[in-house]
Amino acid sequence: MTGRAEFIERIRREVSKTPGLFGASPAPRPADPAAAAETVRRELAERWPEALERFRAEFERVAGVFHRVPDLAAVPAAIGAIARGHGAKRLVTWDPVALGFDAAPELTRGGLEVVAARAGEEDEAARLRHREQAARAQIGVTGADFALGETGTLILLSGSGRPRSTSLLPDVHVAVFRRDRLLETLEQVGIMLEALHVDPDHTMSGAMSGAMPGAMINFITGPSRTADIELTLTRGVHGPKEVHAVFVEAP
Amino acid sequence: MSDALLRTPFPERAGAALKDTFLQEALKIATTKFIDLRKQSFAGFPQGEALRDRARAIKEATLQHLDVHLERLADNVERLGGRVHWASTAEEAREMVLRLCRDRGVRMAVKSKSMATEEIDLNEALEHAGITPIETDLGEYIIQLAHEKPSHIIAPAIHKTKGQVAELFSRELRGEFPADPEVLTAVARKALREKFLQADMGITGANFAVADTGTVVLVTNEGNGRMVTSLPRIHVALMGVEKVIPSMTDLVVFLAILARSATGQKLSSYTTLVRGPRRAGELEGPEEFHLILLDNGRSRQIASTLREALYCLRCGACLNVCPVYRQIGGHAYGYTYPGPIGILLTAMLKGNESVRELAHASSLCGACKDVCPVRIDIPRMLVELREHLDREKIAPWTERVVFKALRRLLLSPTAYRVSATVGRWVQRPFVRQGRLRGLPLVFGKWTKTRDLPPVAARTFRERWKELQ
Repeated sequence: MTGRAEFIERIRREVSKTPGLFGASPAPRPADPAAAAETVRRELAERWPEALERFRAEFERVAGVFHRVPDLAAVPAAIGAIARGHGAKRLVTWDPVALGFDAAPELTRGGLEVVAARAGEEDEAARLRHREQAARAQIGVTGADFALGETGTLILLSGSGRPRSTSLLPDVHVAVFRRDRLLETLEQVGIMLEALHVDPDHTMSGAMSGAMPGAMINFITGPSRTADIELTLTRGVHGPKEVHAVFVEAP
Repeated sequence: MSDALLRTPFPERAGAALKDTFLQEALKIATTKFIDLRKQSFAGFPQGEALRDRARAIKEATLQHLDVHLERLADNVERLGGRVHWASTAEEAREMVLRLCRDRGVRMAVKSKSMATEEIDLNEALEHAGITPIETDLGEYIIQLAHEKPSHIIAPAIHKTKGQVAELFSRELRGEFPADPEVLTAVARKALREKFLQADMGITGANFAVADTGTVVLVTNEGNGRMVTSLPRIHVALMGVEKVIPSMTDLVVFLAILARSATGQKLSSYTTLVRGPRRAGELEGPEEFHLILLDNGRSRQIASTLREALYCLRCGACLNVCPVYRQIGGHAYGYTYPGPIGILLTAMLKGNESVRELAHASSLCGACKDVCPVRIDIPRMLVELREHLDREKIAPWTERVVFKALRRLLLSPTAYRVSATVGRWVQRPFVRQGRLRGLPLVFGKWTKTRDLPPVAARTFRERWKELQ
């Protein structure tokens, strides 16, 4: 087996044979990512309606279903309507603290079985129980840490109270977000990712609101899809067959 | 690729592909569709050209300090609680995965699509050791069930009809399934969902790895990449060393052009960023994360002929536009990586000997260079590769003699004039309908499948003299 030192030494030797061959330098990173992120946020505070319109158009282009509700109080009803549309009985959701709302009481009154993840749960029994519940649920409800207009993409950070499978195992994924989550371009996403990196608690970017960050970030652009059999586009291979975005107007 | 297939010479493999009428039809439809999707996607994306330049510059600069970026990546992965392994050869990489499986009692591993694992023949090694590898990308799953190899980098099963897939699933999964892609996809979803939930290990490649943050990035459409990195207790990622990029700022540059080049999507359905094993407080995710860094002949090219091939993003765009690939498909190439870039990667990984014939499986038309997201100059490298084959006496002696003679002839004005005069006489019996056909001896190999324009009645030099 090769050790690290030997491996790197071989590469260093090869690299040293090409001094000055290529003068290119990597793309410039923002000098102060937190400040750059803050600037993006400030700009978007003004421009969010355009970003939202772009998001809606692009999200629908990738077969996403867009909803708009006036405030958080209207979210459970919107989710309930989606569930009824699918004849769904069971839902899994992120921890209500991570979501910023608790839809369970209203949805349960409507006859649905709702299982919410709990921040801090991390033992083996809880893991298996949650997996089982997520695999049986027809609908998974999450927040979105960013909603990207350029591509109609929802960006979700994993973490405590934010299991990875909520947006993956159920047939339908519903993501709820507010205007302060909107971004316009991939370049801005780059700035946010740089800011997350220098600020592991994710407070500057406004994501996570103090919860413990996890090890995974997912960019979700429409439902799971394939064209592997005769190039016929088919949705819902392994992940969700449908993705819904619920935009909450009230800031 | 199986040795049996490689024992058949390339011209015969290509010949068989040309006679396969279904394959011809499938290739035409698939490559034409991919070309259109790509074209439309870049047409509405004016900043695309500048981003391609930037992406290329990032690859160049990263390679210039590859040692530094790899060390940085390794330090960050370890800081996050992951383990980094250094594999100089395919054999070492296989051995590392097998040892992990043995030490941790792994019986079944689910895999998301990875060309690097194909390159090291990982599935065969796992099976040999009694561990079941399950390919979970739908296309890869189909060819694994059929015991075949991928024929396209991003659409591994384009050579199969839905009828063939239905037959295969009916036999292997015991059922009666119609030739309907939607039904067949649902069948695979159900069969593979069970495997995701049972497997002990998830094995992936990596589209990128960000040195700054220790992040491995997977780009998929089906969601299998998310499954294998979220559900099993161990995640092993295998990547070629050239996949490292410095920062998140760089990452978004590549994301903006990768899916557009491959499938014409703005972004693939899922871009998954993985930073080590699951974190404290996190319910799901693997408890162990291993990153295997694979050299396997790559570092030798950093300062050599094939350097630019190390920029490749594996998008498959150069396959779709290649007049040779469009005719013969991926299997005829005989190795893991098909198409124009595949010839260069095969030379890199398997040595120049292995591309003795493949180096000529290109018309040098340059279409590949035009569509490459990082503008890899594939035609230039193919010409250089042919030079190497000649210099290393790997090329057949007839070819070497013909080209030496041609060189002499083209360097001397007198020899050129005389040969034109002689040629006009000699060619007479072979000119039919204004073209040279059915030449004798070794020249017949050329005219067997194509014709040539004859030497003109009056050459340019002769006419020039008259005009003077």
